[in-house]
Amino acid sequence: MIVTDSLKIKRNLNALVEFSKAINSSLDLKFILNNVLLTCMGKFLATKGAIAINEKGVIKLMISKGVSADFEENFPVITVKDVINESGKLKSITDSGSFVCSEFIQASEKHIGIIFLGEKLNKTLYSNEDIQFLKTILNISATAIQNSMVINELKQVNRTLDTRINSLNSLFELSKEFGLFSESTKVSKLLIYSIIGQFMISKYAVLIFEKDGINIIESKFPMDEIKSILNNTDVESIISTVEKNKLEKQYNSLFEIGVEQVVPMQIQGKTKGLILLGNRLNKQQFTESDIEFIYSVGSLAIISLENKRLFKEELEKHKLEEELDLAREIQRNLLPQEIVQLHNFEISAENISSNQVGGDYFDVIRKDEENCYIAIADVSGKGVPAALLMANLQALLKSACRQNISLVEGTGMINDLISENVTGGKFITFFWASINDKNRTISYVNAGHNPPLLVRDGKIIKLRKGGMILGVMKTKDPYITETLQLQKNDLLVFFTDGITEAMNNEQNEYSDERLEKLVLSLNNKSSKEVLKLIQADVKNFTSGAIQSDDITLLVLKVN
Amino acid sequence: MTEFNTSKKEIGDVNVVYLNGFLDAHTAPVLEDTFSSLVEQNKFKLVVNLKELDYISSAGLGVFMAFIEKMRENKGDIKLTSMNEKVFNIFDLLGFPLLYEIFDNEEDAVKKFSGDN
Repeated sequence: MIVTDSLKIKRNLNALVEFSKAINSSLDLKFILNNVLLTCMGKFLATKGAIAINEKGVIKLMISKGVSADFEENFPVITVKDVINESGKLKSITDSGSFVCSEFIQASEKHIGIIFLGEKLNKTLYSNEDIQFLKTILNISATAIQNSMVINELKQVNRTLDTRINSLNSLFELSKEFGLFSESTKVSKLLIYSIIGQFMISKYAVLIFEKDGINIIESKFPMDEIKSILNNTDVESIISTVEKNKLEKQYNSLFEIGVEQVVPMQIQGKTKGLILLGNRLNKQQFTESDIEFIYSVGSLAIISLENKRLFKEELEKHKLEEELDLAREIQRNLLPQEIVQLHNFEISAENISSNQVGGDYFDVIRKDEENCYIAIADVSGKGVPAALLMANLQALLKSACRQNISLVEGTGMINDLISENVTGGKFITFFWASINDKNRTISYVNAGHNPPLLVRDGKIIKLRKGGMILGVMKTKDPYITETLQLQKNDLLVFFTDGITEAMNNEQNEYSDERLEKLVLSLNNKSSKEVLKLIQADVKNFTSGAIQSDDITLLVLKVN
Repeated sequence: MTEFNTSKKEIGDVNVVYLNGFLDAHTAPVLEDTFSSLVEQNKFKLVVNLKELDYISSAGLGVFMAFIEKMRENKGDIKLTSMNEKVFNIFDLLGFPLLYEIFDNEEDAVKKFSGDN
C-alpha cells in the first residue's frame, strides 16, 4: 500500500516535471493551452474540456475538446466580474457544455483564464485531491500562458506599428512623387495604387470637382452608372468622410453600385474632389487610421493636381500677356510717331490703348505741299488678330494715298481687298479725308465710322456721307463723298467708339450726347487743349473703371 | 534614385515575370507597363518571381491589385514566388496571402497552373 502510494506520487511528480518542461519550451499560446487541456483531461479521465482566457476583462473561449460543434458559437459573452461570486470564488457557468468542474488559472492573484472539465469517464466525482492536483497543474501553466499572452500582445503592437510605418512610408513616397513636374494622370494613378495596395480594394473611383463640372479621373465602377448618379446626387456638398452605414442611408445609389467608403480630397477644408472606394477584399472594415491615411494621400494628391492646374493657368495667362504685348507693339509701330503740321490747320491726335489692345488706328499722311490725308479706323476684335488686320489696312491706305486716285475709288479698292482677306465676320469702320491746306477744304468718305463732329458757330455738323463698313462684302455701289468749305475757328473732332462707349462702374456709357455737349463748349480752345479736355472728361466719367477698349482722338482746328 | 526593372520568360502558357530592385511609387509605372503589355497579348497566367526584389511599397502592391481581377476574369491568375522575408512581411502585413497564392519556388507556382487545368 505504501509502495503504491509513493509510486503514485513519483509518477505524478514525473508527469508534472515533464509537463512543465513542455509548456515552458513554447511561446505559442495555442500549443500551451492544448497541452494543459490534454494533460488535465488525461489525468482526470475527463471526456470534455475547454479553456477560456481573460482578454482585457472579457472571457474568451480559446480551445475546447469533446464538446458539440456549436459550443464555441454559443459561448456566452461574459466578463471576469460576471463569473466571480461575492466570496471571490468562481460561479458555476458550466451549464452549456455540461461541465462539472471549473477552476481559475491564476498568476499572482490575477485571473488569467478558466478551465472547464466534463465528468470523469468512470463517473466518479472530482475529489479534493483531484482539485488540488488540478490547481498545481494550473499554477505551473499560468506563467507560461501569461508569457505567451504578453508575447502575442507585443506581436500585435509590433504589427500595428509596422502598419503605421508602412502608411507613413507610403505618404512620404507619394509626397516625393507628387512633385510639380509629374503629370496629372500619374498623380491620380499613384494615388489609386497606393490606396488599393494598402487596403486590398479592387473597385474605386476618383472624382475631381472642376469649374465646368465633375471630372471622373479614374473609375472601376461602371462609368455610365457613376455619371447618372452624379447627375442626380449632390456629392459636391460632401465635406467629411462617409462610411458604409451612412452611405446606405444617405447616398443609396452609390451604395447600390458597391461604394462602401467616400473620402473627400480637400484643400484648406474645401472639398475639391472625392475618392470612392469599394469593399476590402480581405473583408476587413476601414479603421479610423485607415481613413486618416486615405484622407492624407487624397489631400496630397489634390494639392499636387491643383498646383499643376494653377501653374498651367499662370502659364497661359503669361502667354496671353506676351501676345497682348506683341499686339500693343504692332499697334504702336503702325500709328504715326509725329503728327504732320500744316499752315491753316492745327492737328492733335492720340491713341490710348486698353489692356486688351483694341484695333484703333489713325494716321495723318502728307500727299504734297498743299494736300494731306487724315484717317481714323476701328478694327473689330482685339489683340493680335485685330493688330494684324490693322497692319493690313495701314498698308492699303498708304498705297492708296500714293496712287493718284480719288477717295471714292480708294475706299472701293481698300474694301475689295479687305473683304477678300478677312474671315470670320471681322470688319473695319473707317473714315478718311483729304484736306487742302491752301483752300481750307475737306473731302471725306465715311465707311461706317462714328461720324466725326464739325463744330461751327455753336452747332454740330456730322460727317456721315460714305457707305458701308469695310470687309463685309465687295464694293457694289460706289462710296459717296462730300466736300466742305471750312472756316476759321472750325473745330473737327474725330474719335472711335472707345470714347462714346466708355463705361463707368454703374455700366453707363459716356454717350454721343455727352461728347457733343462738351465739344460745343470748346470752340475757343486749341486742338491740343480740346484733345486733353475730352480725354479728361472721359476719365472723370469712368472714374476708375477699367478701360475696356482703345480710345482714339484726332482733333483738327482751322486757323 | 531607386532602380527597378522586370524581365520575362515563357514556360508553356505561363509567363514568369522577374522583378528586380525597388518597387515603390516612383517605379510602379514600370510594373504597370509590363502587366499591361501582357494583358494586351492576352497572357493572363502570371507567375511573379520576387527573388531579386528588395523592397515593395503600397503603390507597388496596388499594381498587383489593379490587375488581379483582369487576370482571373480571363481564367488566369497572378501567383507570387520566392520573396525574401522583408518583402513577405509587407505582403503579409496588408493581408495579401488571403488573396494571392504565394509559393516558395517558381516551379511549384508554374506547376499549379497546369494543375488548375
